[in-house]
Amino acid sequence: MPMGHTATAQAGSGGLTATEHRLANGLRVVLSEDHLTPVAAVCLWYDVGSRHEVKGRTGLAHLFEHLMFQGSAQVKGNGHFELVQGAGGSLNGTTSFERTNYFETMPTHQLELALWLEADRMGSLLAALDEESMENQRDVVKNERRQRYDNVPYGTAFERLTALAYPEGHPYHHTPIGSMADLDAATLEDARAFFRTNYAPNNAVLSVVGDIDPEQTLAWVEKYFGSIPSHDGKQPPRDGTLPDIIGEELREEIHEEVPARALMAAYRLPHDGTRECDAADLALTVLGGGESSRLHNRLVRRDQTAVAAGFGLLRLAGAPSLGWLDVKTSGGVEVPQIEAAVDEELARLAAEGPTAEEMERAQAQLEREWLDRLGTVAGRADELCRFAVLFGDPQLALTAVTRVLDITAEEVRAVAAARLRPDNRAVLVYEPLASEDTADAAGTAADETDEHEGADQ
Amino acid sequence: MSDAAVTMDFHPQPTAGEARPWAFPAPERGALGNGLTVLRCDRPGQQVVAVEINLDAPLEAEPEGLDGVATIMARAFSEGTDKHSAEEFAAELERCGATLDAHADHPGVRISLEVPVSRLPKALGLLAEALRAPAFADSEVERLVRNRLDEIPHESANPGRRAAKQLSKELFPASSRMSRPRQGTEETVARIDASGVRAFYEAHVRPATATAVIVGDLTGVDLDGVLADTLGTWTGDTARPRPVPPITADDTGRVVIVDRPGAVQTQLLIGRIGADRHDRVWPAQVLGTYCLGGTLTSRLDRVLREEKGYTYGVRAFGQVLRSSAPSEPGGATGAAMLAISGSVDTASTGPALDDLWKVLRTLAAEGLTDAERDVAVQNLVGVAPLKYETAASVAATLADQVEQHLPDDFQAQLYARLAETGTVEATAAAVSAFPVDRLVTVLVGDAEQIKEPVTALGIGDVTVVSG
Repeated sequence: MPMGHTATAQAGSGGLTATEHRLANGLRVVLSEDHLTPVAAVCLWYDVGSRHEVKGRTGLAHLFEHLMFQGSAQVKGNGHFELVQGAGGSLNGTTSFERTNYFETMPTHQLELALWLEADRMGSLLAALDEESMENQRDVVKNERRQRYDNVPYGTAFERLTALAYPEGHPYHHTPIGSMADLDAATLEDARAFFRTNYAPNNAVLSVVGDIDPEQTLAWVEKYFGSIPSHDGKQPPRDGTLPDIIGEELREEIHEEVPARALMAAYRLPHDGTRECDAADLALTVLGGGESSRLHNRLVRRDQTAVAAGFGLLRLAGAPSLGWLDVKTSGGVEVPQIEAAVDEELARLAAEGPTAEEMERAQAQLEREWLDRLGTVAGRADELCRFAVLFGDPQLALTAVTRVLDITAEEVRAVAAARLRPDNRAVLVYEPLASEDTADAAGTAADETDEHEGADQ
Repeated sequence: MSDAAVTMDFHPQPTAGEARPWAFPAPERGALGNGLTVLRCDRPGQQVVAVEINLDAPLEAEPEGLDGVATIMARAFSEGTDKHSAEEFAAELERCGATLDAHADHPGVRISLEVPVSRLPKALGLLAEALRAPAFADSEVERLVRNRLDEIPHESANPGRRAAKQLSKELFPASSRMSRPRQGTEETVARIDASGVRAFYEAHVRPATATAVIVGDLTGVDLDGVLADTLGTWTGDTARPRPVPPITADDTGRVVIVDRPGAVQTQLLIGRIGADRHDRVWPAQVLGTYCLGGTLTSRLDRVLREEKGYTYGVRAFGQVLRSSAPSEPGGATGAAMLAISGSVDTASTGPALDDLWKVLRTLAAEGLTDAERDVAVQNLVGVAPLKYETAASVAATLADQVEQHLPDDFQAQLYARLAETGTVEATAAAVSAFPVDRLVTVLVGDAEQIKEPVTALGIGDVTVVSG
């Protein structure tokens, strides 16, 4: 296991350090010691997400993530969950556009168990994967989709806006949850092929963070993961790059049973990992991150045309990031009125840039968010994997905050001018089907009759 | 399964190493000259400090017809003071990199501040200003009222929120504040103005009945000095302890369907009230509830999710509504909401409830196994160091203890008590927490499709209300 970086804290890393190693089979390993609390986080990122899926099989990466909890050669049924929880640990797995991650946080003395479990499924999942698990988890995932997207007001906004913002055929055109039809169509053979293609040690990064003995930890990693064969069957994801600017405003209006009108938009922004992306993060924070932001002050406090107004950043490395605008209107306010105000605020930021005080506030907010992320062993383990998988260097996680603090007001202005423009956004407008009188729509139970009948289009 | 040919080397499941000691942190308790109780707790390495303020301003103290005034007051704390306008106040807080949240619930108002330790003095100064001299300007209160009115339809549209609202209405007598939405209705919120907010503040907010919990890496922080300059400048009179009325609920087994034509899922919320943390049964109830529905591998999800695929997940939980110590005037009068919640696809509603009741009946008939009990104890006790890694999680638990009139070492002792609780006690507690004939079932879903199959189950009379 060569290529060990020395554990010397870099400037701006808050004293945190990480070392990097690579097993002969290609598994990259990142270790970070921290003995404040007797816990250790294990995090494994596989370099596969919904962007690697093909037409007709959307949702497969996420469905597959569920199957990873259904047992492997030495772990029966739900054993992965049972053993981790029985050891006083917590665990989960998640799937995004760009990766799939699995993580356990364990009391220190149970760390070895988590490594054994992760290695067992990385090396031998197919020994246990069967039709019964596949059918069961297909139903579970379909219910997840219903619960989180289909049965909630505005629940499909993310999916719709993503589909607008990335053109048909683009790897990010569809979201990780996938479509019901594709979930139904996925076969056991698809799942097996997905595993054989993507779940290899050389397509993963393992981080272990917390109250660990690095030498012992590395020895365990070698023992459990070292014999898993590498393979190179994976195809690179389809190219996600797009022109900087969409070139026109894309727009969709939805008539649905929602409680109020809403204006949502996705702006095409620079890729994660660039200075411009950090500048965009600050621009969005100045505009719509919190209670002192320009949009909150304008729409919620002064104009009082919105219930809530905010901007968020979806950082993406393999495609343009998205700046996410979400405004829920107040009472009977019409969307064009909101849109005009938003455009004024965007144009003002593009022309004048943020004030020194706004920069200070935005940077302080983002700094606290980073302290929160790195303040737990699990958060730190996830960030180390993220920077290793997406940017090839886990050390970048420890200095991310210094890069945000290094951005100037002029860079923020410049990215606002270049990107936060009407011809660079996809817009989604919600118009409620029911009466606009919100007091009626919310009337409690008993006196309501059939006014929503037939609303389900 | 030839294609599953496995080529890795297998090793036996490793055994655990030696556990390293960990204990829930013991706070240092003190008081400022103005009567404010202070709990402090140093957590090295936690650069983001968490501050929780408990105000003895419970919902039942809201004047009749003004449900929601405690909520509006809580929100108005961050909308300007004698020194800063609303916009300036928000800007100053965010300049510290701080977040400030306030909300009103049955036991009182809670304010949560999180801030990097380097800016703690400044942020505590702002928090003190908000408590000592809130502006409660007419225009800001009017705006908060309108904003709150705008929020209500969004909450009603959310199936989970809608179910919770209906369950409270079903369980508690109309005269009880608990039967009504915590943040008020359109009717009551519309009546709230700045003078009502100020009157509520003057009647119920004072340092003598408030507590501040401060947790984080306090190395090198002169906390006494900082407190004297900030929260120490807040003044107020004293107040008599407030008697806490008992909580009663009608848990006659029945089903209420909140009709949502066309809904693709049914939201389930099945509940009643039961013991709170002052009751000796609490550790057994925690254990039993975990075994029933604490996680993916608990009894409910083992069947409803992992065998049948009816749901993304169903959970059983106990959540304290309001508590008082046995030594309080009126004695121990608290209660917890005990409930099972989740959502299932519409077509599976009848079969899922049928299975859910079977799980409860089997539990009552056969009890928990020792293995189940052991795993539950190992998890509940074992996850403590993970759960309390951050300052915010420690502060929240300490503030909950204060709010529920519990000793400061309650959580620390709870772990020892859980470890001593046996299978028989856990079974008994789970069965008496979730008796099959004393559960109120609220279903938010498509009545036309689910009423008949649910009625056929015989789990209680079924009524339908509109959405």
